[in-house]
Amino acid sequence: MSVNVWIVVGDQPAIGNLIAVARALGEAAGADGQVAAVVAGPRPVAETVAASGVDRVVWCGLPDDAPAEASALAVADVVAADPPRVVLGGRNPGERVLLGAAAARLRAAVLTGARSVSADGDGVVVVNAVFGDISEETVAVSGPVALLMDGGSVPPAAGPGVPIEEVTAAPLGLKVIETRMFGFDEVDLGAAPRVIGIGRGLKAKEDLALIEALAEAAKAEIACSRPVAEGLNWMGKDRYIGSSGARITPQLYLAIGISGQLQHMVGVVGAETIVAINSDPNAVVFAQADYGLVGDLYQLVPAITSALK
Amino acid sequence: MKIVVAYKWTRDPEEASVGADGTVDWSRAKPGLSAYDPVAIELARRLAEATGAELIGVTAGDTGVGAAIAAKAALSRGLDRTVIIEDASLKGAGRAELAAVLAGAVRHIGDVDLVVTGDSSVDVAAKMVPTLLAGELGWPAVAEVNELTGEAGTLRVQRAIPGGVQVLEVSGPAVLAAAADAAVPRVPGMKDLLAAGKKPAEHLDLASLDVPARNAVLTVTGTSRPERKSRRGQIIDTTDPAAAATELVQALHGAGVL
Repeated sequence: MSVNVWIVVGDQPAIGNLIAVARALGEAAGADGQVAAVVAGPRPVAETVAASGVDRVVWCGLPDDAPAEASALAVADVVAADPPRVVLGGRNPGERVLLGAAAARLRAAVLTGARSVSADGDGVVVVNAVFGDISEETVAVSGPVALLMDGGSVPPAAGPGVPIEEVTAAPLGLKVIETRMFGFDEVDLGAAPRVIGIGRGLKAKEDLALIEALAEAAKAEIACSRPVAEGLNWMGKDRYIGSSGARITPQLYLAIGISGQLQHMVGVVGAETIVAINSDPNAVVFAQADYGLVGDLYQLVPAITSALK
Repeated sequence: MKIVVAYKWTRDPEEASVGADGTVDWSRAKPGLSAYDPVAIELARRLAEATGAELIGVTAGDTGVGAAIAAKAALSRGLDRTVIIEDASLKGAGRAELAAVLAGAVRHIGDVDLVVTGDSSVDVAAKMVPTLLAGELGWPAVAEVNELTGEAGTLRVQRAIPGGVQVLEVSGPAVLAAAADAAVPRVPGMKDLLAAGKKPAEHLDLASLDVPARNAVLTVTGTSRPERKSRRGQIIDTTDPAAAATELVQALHGAGVL
């Protein structure tokens, strides 16, 4: 049986959304092609994927000190051996490397802003958000296409699973020498009902205490707009919100000291309610907020913290 | 050692305007060096200075990307020379096509040890061109790179991972995408701008690169404006911070979000 959709997987199996998209493509087209996954990460990832409801799993066994990226060409070989209509990958650095290798091998088109994907004859139609999501294009694709999408959650086990086919290929010259964790608390911003975002308006790392007090009073998570300066390592990268970071849809988003630039705001346009605090009355954030407070955050934030208690 | 930095001359969507039907008007957006490319050039330049490597820029795109102002913007950041593929047929080119053209340029330059790119472009922000480029060249790719040391054949690459960093040893040619916060770029001074005018900018003919066509055709059949929640835009008077805070908290309680 031929493969209709390949899913590339790196070192974590959060591919629930990709499986759903792949299945929908198969059902709508009445295609009897398979949903297959190729895994470049450690074996336990392959085992999770094998039990997730895909029709086929290939695992590129790697030496322990090789990162998932070392299997990129092996992944391309696997996908090219059974060329699909669509290749899917999640929005993570490792998966983007694997997807790029597969797409280059297939000479596929690549789209990274898919809002929806549907089968259309032998091809697909994608509604694709472009240019920082200021516009959407409906794109008809004929020929192979690689889509970068939100991977979704780790799929629950859907049965005993399919057998894992193992391929070995010479890994590309990458070796892990050292891993250092910063000790930041991990956070799932996507699950937080209330999020506070901080921007350049916050002058010093010590000032984070002000925000932490507000976060505690509001029972909110703390996030930030993308810092561009070196050494602004105030929090883990998983707290960055924007076009190249997280996109969230909380009940409440408080933008503090954030100017409201496109690259950041694209990450929070889906929030139910947006509040902006900024000392610049002309900041573009105010046009994108439900409630705006023009003023000094060093006065307003403690005041709001008190009002919440 | 030869280090290539791929950069993009393009417009910022922040300055574009969008019609109700989703058509984008770029006419008031001034083109410039894509926001994160100076970071990539800075990261590569530090390695070039440490190793004596040649630092070569590469860019591909529609008419305009090869203009003197564009070449100078990149060269003034510390490149020794730049290679430009400027072709009207690249207008609206997809990620895959651009990556294939860049790969052709890297092969043309020859004996390249390392390609460094920015995190993503300011307009498309796909984060895919570096990984597609690596796929085209058959080289490993690593993203979120924030430190780069060593020599060709034994490069030490530090990259961000969730919650920390990881150091990799890279033993052959590779494509590295610099994290957006990897480095604070030096600001070009008068000397750099003047020197840039004298550095070589080589224009390559697209046809001469023999880039194989993609196997897929994309046809845009329509555009639309993404649905956006309409926002109240209510400004709360902050003359008295305590009163403003109370008003805000009451409004949020009323809206059911607190």
